[in-house]
Amino acid sequence: MATQIDTHPTALPQQVGQLTTGWKLAMGASFLLLVVGIVAFIRELSTGMIATGMRNVGTMGGASWGLYITMVVYFIGVSFAGITIAALVRIFNLRQLRPIARIAELLTVVFLLMGSLAIIVDLGQPVRGVINLFRYARPQSPFFGTFSLVIAGYLAASLIYLYLGGRRDAAKMAEYPSRLQRFHRWWAAGYSDTPEEQARHRKTSFWLAVTIIPLLVIATSTLGFVFGLQVGRPGWYGTLQAPAFVTLAGVSGTGLIIVLAVIVRRMVHDKTALGIDVFAWLGKFLLALVIVYLYFMTVELLTLLYSTPEVEKQLSDALLFGQYAWIYWGSVALLAIPAIGLMWQALTRRWNVGWLVAAGIAVNLAAIGKRFLIVVPSQTHGTLLPYEVGSYSPSWVEYGVVLGLFGLGALMIGAFVKAFPPLPLGDREEVTADA
Amino acid sequence: MRRNVTAAMIAGGIVLMLVGYLGAAPWGADTVANSDPRFSFAPAVFVIGVIVALSAALVYELMPDRRNK
Amino acid sequence: MAKYAMVVDLNRCQGCRACTEACKIENNTGQGMFWMHVFRFEDGAFPETRMSFLPRPCQHCDNAPCVKVCPTGARFKREDGIVLTDPDRCIGCRYCELACPYGVNYFNWQKPKDSQYSDVISWDDPDIQAITGGAYPPYKNPDLDKEWGPEGRRTAGGNHAKGVMEKCTFCVQRVEQGSLPACVDTCPVTALRFGDISDSESPVSRFIRENEAWSLLEEAGTKPSVFYVGGKPPSHSYKEVERPKARV
Repeated sequence: MATQIDTHPTALPQQVGQLTTGWKLAMGASFLLLVVGIVAFIRELSTGMIATGMRNVGTMGGASWGLYITMVVYFIGVSFAGITIAALVRIFNLRQLRPIARIAELLTVVFLLMGSLAIIVDLGQPVRGVINLFRYARPQSPFFGTFSLVIAGYLAASLIYLYLGGRRDAAKMAEYPSRLQRFHRWWAAGYSDTPEEQARHRKTSFWLAVTIIPLLVIATSTLGFVFGLQVGRPGWYGTLQAPAFVTLAGVSGTGLIIVLAVIVRRMVHDKTALGIDVFAWLGKFLLALVIVYLYFMTVELLTLLYSTPEVEKQLSDALLFGQYAWIYWGSVALLAIPAIGLMWQALTRRWNVGWLVAAGIAVNLAAIGKRFLIVVPSQTHGTLLPYEVGSYSPSWVEYGVVLGLFGLGALMIGAFVKAFPPLPLGDREEVTADA
Repeated sequence: MRRNVTAAMIAGGIVLMLVGYLGAAPWGADTVANSDPRFSFAPAVFVIGVIVALSAALVYELMPDRRNK
Repeated sequence: MAKYAMVVDLNRCQGCRACTEACKIENNTGQGMFWMHVFRFEDGAFPETRMSFLPRPCQHCDNAPCVKVCPTGARFKREDGIVLTDPDRCIGCRYCELACPYGVNYFNWQKPKDSQYSDVISWDDPDIQAITGGAYPPYKNPDLDKEWGPEGRRTAGGNHAKGVMEKCTFCVQRVEQGSLPACVDTCPVTALRFGDISDSESPVSRFIRENEAWSLLEEAGTKPSVFYVGGKPPSHSYKEVERPKARV
C-alpha cells in the first residue's frame, strides 16, 4: 500500500482535522440556528402546540399538519435519494460516481435523523410517541412503514454502508499520527486491504445494495401512502401519490448531493478530486428526474382540470389561482427553469458547476413548496362537508424549530467532514502527488 | 463459519420480522384486539428484525479470520 | 350485543344548537371545540334563499378511517359500535383528524381549563351548596374519569390532557349507565334519537326503516352509525352561515 505521506508528513488529507476560519464561521452560524430551534421547541413544549400556527380542520378552519410534516416528507425524501445513489453506484458499478458515494450516505444519515426529529416535534406527546410506537404500532396504519422501514431500515442500512465503505480509508487515515488516530483505528477495525477483504467488501456492498433498493421503494411509497390512501381528503387520494413522492424525493436529494459535493470540493482545495464528469452525471440524472416529475404534475393537473368534482374544484382553484397559487407556480418555475438550463448544458456538453449548484438549490426550494402543497391545501380547502375554507401560516415557533433542524444537520455534516475524509482516498493518490 | 453466522443472522432477522409483523397485525384477531398488538412491543421486534438482518453485513465483513487468531 | 346508532330527523331540527350546549356542559370540552356541531346552511340567492340545518356528531363509522390510520391503536371501535379515543395512549400525531372526512376531531392545542364554564362560581360556597344540595357540577362528574367497557380504558374524555386528540364519545359514560347521550336527552324537538339497531324492532330501527334514512358522505364508504331522515345531503353550493368562528 503506497500512500504518499512523504509530501505532507503531518497534515491529514482532505483538510481533515484542520479547523479553518470559514468552517468555524459556518459551524458557529449553524450552532446559533440550533439554539433558536431549541428555544422554539421548549416554547412549544411548555405552552402546548398552540404555539404553532396549526389548528383543527373543520370548524376551526385550520390545518392540523403544517410545516413540520412538510419538512418530514422533504427530509426523508432527500435521504431516500442519498442512499439510492449510493446503492446504484454499487449495483451498476458506476466507477465515475464512486467519489460521491460517501457524501450521499452521509446526507442520508443526517437527513434521516432530521426527519425523525421533525416527526417528534410534530407530536402532541413526544415522549409517549417514541415509546408507544415501539409498543403498539399497527401495520394497518401507513405510519408503520414510515416508522419501521424508513427510520429503522434506512438508518441501519445507511449507517452500515457508511461504516463498511469507509473502512479502507479509515485504515489509511490511521497511519497518520493525529488526535483522530484512535477514531480512525476504531473505524478501520483491523482492515488491512488484503485481496480477500476487498472481495468480501465488494460482495457485501453488492448484496446490501440489491436488498436495499426494493426496500427503499417500498418504504418511501408508504410515506406516499400516508396521503394517497385517504379517501376523506380531496387532493390526497390517488394512485399517483406514491410514485410522484419517490420521484420528487430523487429530485431534491440529487440536488442537495450536487450542492454538498461542490462544497466539499472547495473545502478540500482540490478541484480534481471530483471531476466534471461526476457533475455531468448528476446533472443528467437530475434532469431526467425533473422531467419525470413535471410529467406527473402535468398528468395530475389535466385530471384535475378535465373532470373536477365540486369539492376538488374548490381545492384546484385555491392551488392554481387562489391563496396557494404563488407557491404552486413558483415551484413549477423552480423546476422548469433548472430543467431548461440542465437540458442546455446536456446538449452542449458544457457543464458549469455554478449553474448546477443553482439548479440544485432551486429544485430543493421547489420540492419544499410542492410538499407543502401536498400537505396543507387539502386540509384548508379540501373538506368534504361544506365547512368554510380555512387558512394556515406557520408561526415563528415552527420556523424556529425547522431552522434549528437545519442547523443540527449542518453541524453533523461539518463535524463529519473534519473527522473523516468525505471523498475516497484511494484513486487520487497520483493526482495529489502531481499537484 | 463466517457464512453460517451471516446466514443465521439473515434468517433470524427475517423470523423476527415475521414474528413482529404477525404480532402487530390484526389478521385473525377480533375487533377489540384489533387495536392492540398480540403482545406488547411486537413492533419493536419487527424493527429489531430489520436491523439484525441488515447487520449481517457487518458480521460478514468484520468477523476475524481464524488463521489470524 | 347492542349496536348503538343515532338518527337525526332533519324535518324537525330547527338549528337551535341546544345539543351543542348540552354536549359542552356534559363533556366540559374546550373553547372552540364542538364534539356536536350544527351546521346552519344558506342556499340560493336572496330573496330566494332557504335555510337548512345539519347536526354533525361523530359518525361512529363501522369502517372508520380514523381507526384504520391510528398508529398506536388509541382510536378504536368497540363492539357496540362506539368509536373512542384512549387519551392515555394517543401520541398526538393528528392523523385520525386528517383521515376523517367529517371533521369531527379536536386536538388539545393547549392545557385545557378544569372548568370550561362557570369558573366564576365557587362550588364550595355554602350559598351555592344550599341551592345545589351538594351535587357536583357536570364538569366534576367522576364518571368522566372512569374506565368504561370491556377494554377498561378511560375513554369518556373527561380527563382532557394537552397534546391528545378528542371527539364525540356518544356520551359513553351515560350510555353505559342506561341513559341517552346528552345531546339526545336535551333536544327540545326530539330531532335526535338514539338506540340499539341490532334489535330490528327497537324504535330507532323502525324509524330508520320507515323513513328512508341516509347517511353523510355515503360515497366515502365509511358506513356511519349516524343516520339522517328528511332533508338532503349538503352540497357545496351551500354556504355555512352563523359559523362559530373560534380558533382557540
